[in-house]
Amino acid sequence: MTQAVSKKSYKEMFRQMLVLTGFLFLLVPSALKAQTDTNTQATADTAAVPVAEEPAAEEPAEEESLISPSIEFLGVQKADNSIDLKVGLKAKVKGQFMNLYKMKVSFFQVMGEEERELGFAITDGRGKAVFNVKADSSLKADAEGKVYFKAVFAGNKAMESAEEFTEFKRARLEITPIKEDSLLSVQVKLVDIGTGEEIPVPETLVGIFVKRHFNPLKVGEGTTDENGEALVEFPLGLPGDTAGNLTLIAKLDENEVFGNLEATVVAPKWGVPVSNIIEDQPRALWSSHPPLWMLITFIVLMLVVWGHYVVIVYELFRLKKEQPKEAADATMP
Amino acid sequence: MELNSYQQEALNYQRPNIEKFGKRNWFFTIFFGLWILAGLYALYLQIAKGHGVTGMRDNVVWGLFIVNFIFFIGLSYAGAIIAGVLHLLRVPWGKPIVRLAQMMTVISIIVGPVFILLCVGRFDRLWHLFFYPRIQSPMTWDVMAVVTFLVGAVLLLYLALIKDFAVYRDAKLNVPKWRQKLYAFFANGYQGTASQKKHIIVSQNLLSIIMIPLSIVVASILSWIFGMTLRPGWHSTIFGPYFVLGALFSGCGVLIVAMWVYRRMYKLEKYFTDKHFINLGYIMMLLAAGYGYFTFSEYFTSWFGSEKWDNEVIHKLFSLKEYGWWTLFANVAGIVLPILIVAIPATRKPKWITLSAFIMVFALWVKRYLIIVPTLESPALPMQDTRMEYVKYSATWPEWVLTFAGIATFLLFFTLISKFVTVVPITGLEDPKAKGQQSETDKTEE
Repeated sequence: MTQAVSKKSYKEMFRQMLVLTGFLFLLVPSALKAQTDTNTQATADTAAVPVAEEPAAEEPAEEESLISPSIEFLGVQKADNSIDLKVGLKAKVKGQFMNLYKMKVSFFQVMGEEERELGFAITDGRGKAVFNVKADSSLKADAEGKVYFKAVFAGNKAMESAEEFTEFKRARLEITPIKEDSLLSVQVKLVDIGTGEEIPVPETLVGIFVKRHFNPLKVGEGTTDENGEALVEFPLGLPGDTAGNLTLIAKLDENEVFGNLEATVVAPKWGVPVSNIIEDQPRALWSSHPPLWMLITFIVLMLVVWGHYVVIVYELFRLKKEQPKEAADATMP
Repeated sequence: MELNSYQQEALNYQRPNIEKFGKRNWFFTIFFGLWILAGLYALYLQIAKGHGVTGMRDNVVWGLFIVNFIFFIGLSYAGAIIAGVLHLLRVPWGKPIVRLAQMMTVISIIVGPVFILLCVGRFDRLWHLFFYPRIQSPMTWDVMAVVTFLVGAVLLLYLALIKDFAVYRDAKLNVPKWRQKLYAFFANGYQGTASQKKHIIVSQNLLSIIMIPLSIVVASILSWIFGMTLRPGWHSTIFGPYFVLGALFSGCGVLIVAMWVYRRMYKLEKYFTDKHFINLGYIMMLLAAGYGYFTFSEYFTSWFGSEKWDNEVIHKLFSLKEYGWWTLFANVAGIVLPILIVAIPATRKPKWITLSAFIMVFALWVKRYLIIVPTLESPALPMQDTRMEYVKYSATWPEWVLTFAGIATFLLFFTLISKFVTVVPITGLEDPKAKGQQSETDKTEE
C-alpha cells in the first residue's frame, strides 16, 4: 500500500516537473525578446542597409492618392558638340524615396512658346535615363547663345505627370594628352560656341579625371587662361587596362553659364598595365580549380559509395543467374 | 517461395489491399491528381512569365521551394537511417515498419529535388550542373549527393522487396497479367535458395552500412549550402548535426503519421501495434530533446555574441511584429509538445502521439522557413535598388499551389505504391509468439 502511494506521488512529482519544464521552455523566447528589444534601436541606427522601412503609423495612407514623381534634369555638353540630357525619376512612396524604373521620359527643346520634341528615353532600374542630342540636331539657341530643354513624364494611372527644365549656353570642352619625354600633361580648352563663333572662355576651373571602375578619379585641375586653355600635370604610375591605356576625362561641373561639360580621350600607354586575370589565385570558392585534398576526398567518397552500388548490382546479377533451372523454365513467358 | 504460417496469414490478410483499388483510393488518386494538375498550371505560368510570378526577388532568392526541398530531402535521409538501423540491429519490433521507412525514403528523394528544379528555373541549363561542375561548390556537392542517394534509396527499397515480389509472383494474385509479369520481372528469379538468400543478405547489409553514413553526409552537405556562407543565422558549425537531427526528427514524425493512416485505412492493427507507436514516440521524444538543445544553443550563442547582423536576424525571429509567433509555434509545437505528449503516461497513446507528430512535422516545416527567409531578409550588403518586394518575402499563389502539388505527389506515390506492394512486408515478418515474445505487443508499457 505504502509502496503504491509513494509510486503514485513520484509519478505526480514527475508530471509536475514536466509541466514546469514546459513553462520554462515557453519563457525562453519571451526572455530573449526582452533582451533583444534594448538593441533594436542601436541596430536600426547603425544598419547600413537602406531597407525600406514600414510606413510610420501616423503618416496618412498614400495608396488612394496618386504618386507625385519628381525629375532631376541636367544636360552635359560633349566634345563632339552633342549633348547628353540626363534625368533621374523618383517619388516618395510610403515615406521612402523610390526610384521609378521603366518609365518613359520625353525630351523637348523649348524656344519661347515653341516646343520641339527631340525623342524619349526609358528609365533604368535606378530611375535614370540618358538621351543623346546629336551635334547635327539643328538646335536653336537664343540671342545669348542659350539652349532650353524640357523633360516630361506623362504620368500613368498611379502617378501624376511631371516636368523639369534646364538651360545653358553652348560651349565645348576639348582635351588633349601631351607626352614630353617622361612628363605627362593634359591640355584642356574651353570655348564658347553659343553665337556660332568659337570664343575662348578664360578664368574657369576645369577638373581632370581618370575613368575608374565605379566613379572617375580626380587627378588634377587647372584654370583656363585668356585663350581658354589650361595645362595640367598628370601623375605617373596609375593602373591602366591590360595595355596600360587610360581614359582621361575633363569636366566642368555646374557652371553658372555653361552648365556641365565633359570631354574624354584615351591616352595610350600612360598607365601601368594591369591584367584582370589573376594568375596567382588565393584559396577561394570561385578559383578555377578545387584544392587537391578536396578533389581527392570527393573522388574517394564517390568511389566508395558507387563501388558499393556496383557490388550490389553484381550480386543482383548473380541472384538471377543462380535461380534453379526448372523454376526459370516455369517463369519464362 | 515457401512461407511460414504467420507470413502466409499476413499475405492473406493484405491480399485484398493490393488486389483491389477501391472507391476511396480512386477518390484520393483523383484528388491528388487535380492538385498536381493545378501545380502544372502554376509551373506553366512560371515558365511562361518567368520567376516574377513567385515572391522570390534579387534579395530573398529562396522561398517556399527551398523550404519544401529541405523538408522532403530530410524525410528521405531519415527514412534511410531508420530503415538501415532497424535492419542492421535486427530490431524485432521494427520489421513491419521498415517498408514504410523505405517507401518514405524513395518517395521523398523523388519529390524533394523537384522543388530545386522549380527554384532554379532554367531547365535548359540543367545539364551544366553535370558537365561543368565546380567541385569546390557546396551546390555541386549537393547535386552529386542527391543523385547518389537516389540510386541508393531505390536499391534499398528494391532489395527489401525482392523476396516479396517472389511471393506475389507465386501467390497467383487476382491482378492483371501485366502486374503479374512485373512481379515476376522484379522478383529477379528469386526462389529462396540458400545462395540466393546469401546474395540478398550481403547486399542488404552492405547497403544498410553505406546508407547510414551516406544519409548523414548528404544531410550535412545540404546544411553546408547554408553553413558555408557568411550570412547571419546560417554560418554555424552545428548546422551539419542540426540538419541531420532535424531530418531524423521530422522523418520519425512522418513515419508515425503514415503508420497511423495505414493502420486505419487497411486495418493493420495487428502489425502496427501500440508498441510501435510508443517505441517510435520515445525515439521522437529523444530527438525532440536533442533538437531543442541544438535550437537553444543556436539562438543563444547568436544572441549572446550580439554581432550586429546576427542581432538583426535574432530580432526578426523573436519580434512578435515579425516572425515571433511563428518562432514560438515552431519551438513549442515542434519541441515541447512531442516531449510532453510522450512523457505523460495518460497521453502516451497512438492517437495522441500521432497528433503531436503531425503538428510537429508542420512545426518543423515552419522551422525550415524560419531558417531561410529571415536571414535572406537581412542582407549583409547594402542594396542599391531598394524596393519593398526585394526586402520582404511573401509567397505567391503559384508557389503555394506548387507546394501543395508536391505534397499531393508525395501522398499519391504512397497511395499507389501501397496498391502495388503490401505495406507490411511478408517475408521479413516473424511471429512474435514463435520468437518467445509475449503477445503483449498491444499492451502499452507503463
